[in-house]
Amino acid sequence: MAVKIRLKRMGKKKAPFYRVVVADARSPRDGRFIEEIGTYDPNIEPSAIKIDADAAKKWLNNGAQPTDTVAKLLKVAGIEK
Amino acid sequence: MAGQNKMEEIFEQTLLYDFYGELLTEHQKSIYEDVVLNDMSLTEVAENYAISRQAVSDLMKRIHKLLKGYEAKLHLVEKFTCAKGKLKEIQSETNALSKDYKSLKEQDSIHIDKRLKKIQALADAVLEDF
Repeated sequence: MAVKIRLKRMGKKKAPFYRVVVADARSPRDGRFIEEIGTYDPNIEPSAIKIDADAAKKWLNNGAQPTDTVAKLLKVAGIEK
Repeated sequence: MAGQNKMEEIFEQTLLYDFYGELLTEHQKSIYEDVVLNDMSLTEVAENYAISRQAVSDLMKRIHKLLKGYEAKLHLVEKFTCAKGKLKEIQSETNALSKDYKSLKEQDSIHIDKRLKKIQALADAVLEDF
C-alpha cells in the first residue's frame, strides 16, 4: 500500500490554509486520510508552517512519499529523514 | 527560498480558483481541484480520469491561462489582497488604541473599547463580503 504525504486545502473561501496529511495513495477525493501531521497557513505574514517533526520522520522512514510541495515544505521547516 | 515560492504559487492558484472557479466547466474544476487543492500529481490525476498525463498537463496549462486571463481583466484577487492588507492595518491600529485607552478611567475606556470593537467587526465584515 503506497502511502503519500500531501497537502489538503482547508479553510473558507478566499482564506485557504492547508493541512499536511498522510493518506493512502488511492484515497478518494473526499479525502479520507490516516493522520494529520501539520498545517501551512499562508494568510499571515510570514506564512506559518507547523509540522510535527517526529511524525513526519516516522512516516518518511516507513516509506511514505511526500508530494513535491510537501517535500519543499519539509525542507523549509528543516525536517529531514 | 525556492521552497517558499512554490508554496506561494499554490496559495495564488487557490485564490484564483476561489474567485474565478465558477467560470470553469465541471471537468476543468474537478481536475484543477485535484491538482491544486488536493495536491495530486499529474500522473495520479491522469490515472483517475483514464486520460494521458500529457492531457492533464495541457488542461492545467489551459485552465491556469484562463484564470490568469480573468484576473488580468477583473483584478479581483489583487483588489482583495490590497483590501485585506488595509483592513489588517485598521485592526492593528484599533488594537493599539484599545491598549492606550486601558490607562484611562474605566468608564471612558469601556465606552471607547465598545467603539473600537465595532470598527474591528466592520473591518472583518468587509473582508467576509468580498
